[in-house]
Amino acid sequence: MKRNTMKILLGGLAGAALIVAEALPLQAADTVRYMARPGSKVTISGTSTIHDWDVVGRIIGGSFEVEPAFQTDKSLKSVKSLLTKETNPKAQVVIPIRSLKSGNQKMDEIMQEAMRAKKNPMIRFKLKWMVLKGEVPAAGTPVKFEVNGDLSVSGVTKNVTLPVVMERLPDGKIKFKGQTKLKMTDFGITPPSPKIPGMSLIKTGDEVTIKYEWLLAPRRKA
Amino acid sequence: MTDQDQGQLNRRDFLRGGSAATLMMMMGGIPLQGAESASGETHYKGETPPLNVGVIGCGTWGREILKTLSGIKFGPVVAVCDTYPAYLRRGGRLAPEAKKYADYRKLLEDDKVQGVIVATPTHQHKQVVLDALKAGKHVYCEAPLASTVDDAREIAEAAKNALEVNFQAGLQNRADKQIVNLEQFIRSGTLGKTLKCRAQYHQKTSWRRTSPNPEREKEINWRLRRSESLGLVGELGIHQVDVSNWYMRKLPKAIHGYGSLLQWQDGRDVPDNVVAVLEYPDGTFLVYESTIANSYNAIKQIFFGSNCAILMRDRRAWMFKEADAPLLGWEVYAKRDTFYTETGVVLGAGSTKQAEREKVGASAGVIDPTSALQYSLQNFLINSYNHGAAVADFKQMFEGADRDALADYLKDLAKNRLPAAGYREGYQATVSVIKANEAVLGNKRIDLDETLFRI
Repeated sequence: MKRNTMKILLGGLAGAALIVAEALPLQAADTVRYMARPGSKVTISGTSTIHDWDVVGRIIGGSFEVEPAFQTDKSLKSVKSLLTKETNPKAQVVIPIRSLKSGNQKMDEIMQEAMRAKKNPMIRFKLKWMVLKGEVPAAGTPVKFEVNGDLSVSGVTKNVTLPVVMERLPDGKIKFKGQTKLKMTDFGITPPSPKIPGMSLIKTGDEVTIKYEWLLAPRRKA
Repeated sequence: MTDQDQGQLNRRDFLRGGSAATLMMMMGGIPLQGAESASGETHYKGETPPLNVGVIGCGTWGREILKTLSGIKFGPVVAVCDTYPAYLRRGGRLAPEAKKYADYRKLLEDDKVQGVIVATPTHQHKQVVLDALKAGKHVYCEAPLASTVDDAREIAEAAKNALEVNFQAGLQNRADKQIVNLEQFIRSGTLGKTLKCRAQYHQKTSWRRTSPNPEREKEINWRLRRSESLGLVGELGIHQVDVSNWYMRKLPKAIHGYGSLLQWQDGRDVPDNVVAVLEYPDGTFLVYESTIANSYNAIKQIFFGSNCAILMRDRRAWMFKEADAPLLGWEVYAKRDTFYTETGVVLGAGSTKQAEREKVGASAGVIDPTSALQYSLQNFLINSYNHGAAVADFKQMFEGADRDALADYLKDLAKNRLPAAGYREGYQATVSVIKANEAVLGNKRIDLDETLFRI
């Protein structure tokens, strides 16, 4: 090959290498970010003196940020933020109250009023710490964690601790699932107790069970 | 519910040992309220979030819509539109806070408007609806959707593809609580073997509008010209034809029509005396009669079956049993009205076979003060708000999610929709009456291929 051509070629290759190098996902921050995806589900179940009830929502927004090793190290032994309370992943969860449906428009409106949804339209959770519980199975899934964070509902924030299970799904997605019991009154919500004419006072139970499945996918880098 | 009704409920509830759950179910959306008391009662009423509305078309019906909306707290009218200044002024008086527009395109540019109600003459619906859907507004399009099959199809397709907005056809019976409940009642097999439906719309009226301006007079009398009007069967009959298609759960396979102009011979070419027979594929049929030259018995609809006939009139319904038909338990307690030689069992609002079995008396004789139009508009407002909120929340929380995922999400939510006619019901009813009108004008029989109704 002629020298000039060689130079051009090498120059070209170097240039190409530079371009390729720049296109590689640069882990600028030391984290991988998972974004909420459709396919999630949250159910809030309660009781009353008449019958049990549920509301269901399919929007759970937010994100989960953790060391990149989380994606590759199935055993999680190198993912410090999940092993200790000293360093922690970042996670925030948002659920629009108006996305929760009971199947009855009026009941939805009453729930929104009881939860003061006009002023506080979102249920929010901000992660404080997340720690692995027990051993990670060989397959890498499912994994049990203990999770702590601040839950804000109706303008009231409470710190809660709850068990959460993570599942690794094909194509890199992850799912967090679990359920927890909460009291409406802990968040300043008065359980609806309507008086229907001809009947005794109906009381809605204070305790509700929140069951959730939160689907996330890693954010694709440019 | 009146005090009398509450008293009746107490007694019957006590007598039957009825369950509170049934009561709740039967009462549906009654606001749960009461005075705050030491007993721990809460007084949540539940507030329906508002949807800002623009009304396009301030003619007779447009103004009826405006009047109804003025009584719906969550349907604030923020804009009205009409090309005719006098009508625009009249519309404006019914919605004093609304901005007035002479051009509907300017109304569609108004960001405050979230939903539009299209109440222009039938043959002028299409462009307004297409533009409104494109502008991202929820659309309530009056029935008939259009005056030709092609236009109706264009509207229906556009509505189908406008994923992010709610579309409702102005077939208000599809939202009326009475008529919805009656459909469920009939669906439970009460008729026995369904035979036929008979419907009539009789009202002595010339249908002619007047105006001092001859050009304007020509414009507002579009109903009297067969080039623009779908005649009695289209403009008046669509609601009853739709109820027949709905209750019979069929679409017509052939239509025979006959019409004549006998009374109002003032230069119009639209018959004032018509009859159409719509044949359904299973041997059942609808006989539809309408005239604007006589008012006897006004508006009524009767479904005939081997066990009974059900008469619908003035938003009330009665069941006339055959002597050999099986007894429905609750009948024993039901009220009866006598019509000359026939005695009919009153079918009260909210009655279903299921509810009756568990039992509370039908609220006999009580006519629902909420009109069909009001139910229809209310359900449009609520369904539109919920639809818009679902789309907004989905897009905000799931950045970059694809259209299919949104479509799936909305499909799942569809089960919560309040009863209302969608683009499919609107299209099918419109096509039914377009063809019926064709048959009437030609004094002939037309065969209909089922592909015509597919959308």
